[in-house]
Amino acid sequence: MLKPPLTFKHRLVLPLLLSLVLILGYPLAFSLWISLHDYRLTAIEQARWVGWAQYFTILAQNASFWNALGNTVRFVGIAVSLELVFGLLLALLLHRKATPFRHFFRAALLVPMFVTPIAVGLMFRFLLNSQLGVVPSVLRALGITIDWFSAQQALITLALIDVWQWTPFMLLLLLAGLESLPEEPFEAARVDGASPLQIFWHLTLPMLRPTILAAVVIRMLDAFKVYEYVYAITRGGPGESTETIQYHIYRVGFLYFRLGEASAMSYILIAVILMLVVLLFYALRRESLSQR
Amino acid sequence: MKGHRFSFLLGAAALLAACAAPSAPAATTVPTRPSEAAAAPVTLNIIMEQVPDYDIVASLTRQFEAEHPNIKITFDAMPYDAMRDKILTSALAPSASYDVIIVDNPWMDEFARAGFLLPLDDYIAQAPDYDFNDFVGPLRDIGVVDGKVYGVPYYNYALGLIVRQDLFDNPDYQAKFQQAFGKPLQVPTTLEDYVAVGKFFKSQGIFGAAMQPQRGYKIFEEWKNWLYAAGGNLLDAAGNVIIDNAAAQQALEMYIDMYKNAAPPNSVNWGFDEALRSMSSGESATMLSYNWMLPTLNKPDGPAGELAGKFALHEVPGGKAVLGAWHWAIPKNTASADAAWTYIAWITSKAIDKQRVIAGGAPTRVSVMQDREVWEKGFGQQYYETVLKILEDAEPLARGARAEEIINEVGTELNSAVAGEKDVAAALAAAAQKTRAILARP
Repeated sequence: MLKPPLTFKHRLVLPLLLSLVLILGYPLAFSLWISLHDYRLTAIEQARWVGWAQYFTILAQNASFWNALGNTVRFVGIAVSLELVFGLLLALLLHRKATPFRHFFRAALLVPMFVTPIAVGLMFRFLLNSQLGVVPSVLRALGITIDWFSAQQALITLALIDVWQWTPFMLLLLLAGLESLPEEPFEAARVDGASPLQIFWHLTLPMLRPTILAAVVIRMLDAFKVYEYVYAITRGGPGESTETIQYHIYRVGFLYFRLGEASAMSYILIAVILMLVVLLFYALRRESLSQR
Repeated sequence: MKGHRFSFLLGAAALLAACAAPSAPAATTVPTRPSEAAAAPVTLNIIMEQVPDYDIVASLTRQFEAEHPNIKITFDAMPYDAMRDKILTSALAPSASYDVIIVDNPWMDEFARAGFLLPLDDYIAQAPDYDFNDFVGPLRDIGVVDGKVYGVPYYNYALGLIVRQDLFDNPDYQAKFQQAFGKPLQVPTTLEDYVAVGKFFKSQGIFGAAMQPQRGYKIFEEWKNWLYAAGGNLLDAAGNVIIDNAAAQQALEMYIDMYKNAAPPNSVNWGFDEALRSMSSGESATMLSYNWMLPTLNKPDGPAGELAGKFALHEVPGGKAVLGAWHWAIPKNTASADAAWTYIAWITSKAIDKQRVIAGGAPTRVSVMQDREVWEKGFGQQYYETVLKILEDAEPLARGARAEEIINEVGTELNSAVAGEKDVAAALAAAAQKTRAILARP
């Protein structure tokens, strides 16, 4: 007996698939089309085919694009590594039953994560402002002068703001990971006289590695999209020292109206992120296979 | 299996980062011949920047509505950053969201050449007693693109040198300056004098200049006054890029000298707000800023508190100032062009413009700046005469269809030099190279 081309269960998901094609497929296809054209919002009728030359020009001749990509990688590296360290420390503290008020802190520490990033950016813009900011004022009283937004410091400052906002996310994932670990190996290690440091190094960390990897992957992908802090605080300055890739794409696409070029940059960014995802996914798989 | 699902989710998340674009607009028909405003009731939607001048315009508009019962006005006031995108979106739509817009001078050529704006020549020619030539020449010229008028001046952003006059008049400072430099302490008229005066005040415990070296628009707007004073410009008369010549090099070196040795520390990202705070708090002795900041600083209940009344406006060192301006314009795709012109002609007419300026608006008409009633009810004869002098010898920040991009790219390089990321020659060479590349695009 021949199977019908579309079974009942297939027909059930058809509306969803059609919606996805319309909502995701059309914009993606259109943005791919304009990425191959010299497409400017102020001269739409004059859009002309330039093909892959647009991609080649960006990759081979656009120093600002590479600078922005470099800034983004530096930002992600600083922010995610600090978030991992602080998140792990906090998770270990909150995992201990002896920690006082641990349930209160679990709730309180999550607050920054629920503030919209543009508001966080504006908040820190004023907190760190050399004229009005409470932070420079307190530091001055202690005899410390830091120019938070100098060319050398600004990107680190933005990364620290990201750390303030997203360490709770790392904490949440790592705490869930810690609480899912079996108790028996730890009891055996304590019976054998292992020190807390040894237990952490030889048991906790290896057993937590898949969770750490997953948390790092998710945070890295999210940190790659940094835009709001840059827009609210530095606008990419001083010079191009804090121009991240998302801000650069915004600048080309929506400030200069060169949407074709901005779309090509977006596709290059997608390619970079996908490569990163594939690499991290294989690392995850190897990790999960070695655990078996 | 779990791993595959995880990778799919991550892949989907990455793909979601792609951006989409609006589709091309349909062609629209527009009125091309001016006529009397339609008798049928019409509502005009006007986009404006949310600044004090908007409040003045909004309040005058009630008078307009009383005189023109068939035309209702609604304003969409917003921060500057949001305006350009909104105007562009409206211009690309089949029907306009805005019937009247205000256009910043870097956008004028871009919008006119993109076909977003309606030429106003016929309207102006047929408007009784309008006297278009009464607008100050350089302001009027900004609204003219390829020989046609697309914008009528609404607001000037010409820069002047705002100083704490009480410091310059202080006998103690005058004696010390005379002793140190062998000449009297005066408001500087050259770059050399400006840097010397700035450093002198710094040695007396007051910062010489509240500067605005913020990346992009702000530093370009401020530094271009220095460039003019050094005898330079962005382009020469033939349209060649000359921003990397000796005059530009000297202007940038002196600007950085002033920043390092006379401006407040850690101010490399300062813009308009920070510089104003520095001046109004008494921290700094001078600043290059918009001429209409003087009344704000001298207002008894204004930001300067007890310092109100001690500020004075002068021409920038070198005399030639950077000119910024807002212009009233009519989008090509509006269905209410005649009514839109009726409103623009009314709000920019001599009589109403006089009321606007008396209420504190930035002047644009010569007759209004020379009006005794304006002097008496406004901010005094000296102020308006100085503003007129500034405006008559001012030049737009940048012109051409890609002015916005040039301003931002050059401003980025200038800021790099001030921040110490690049040396002066390298920054100016990069600025020139980027400007040439922008101008060379089809």
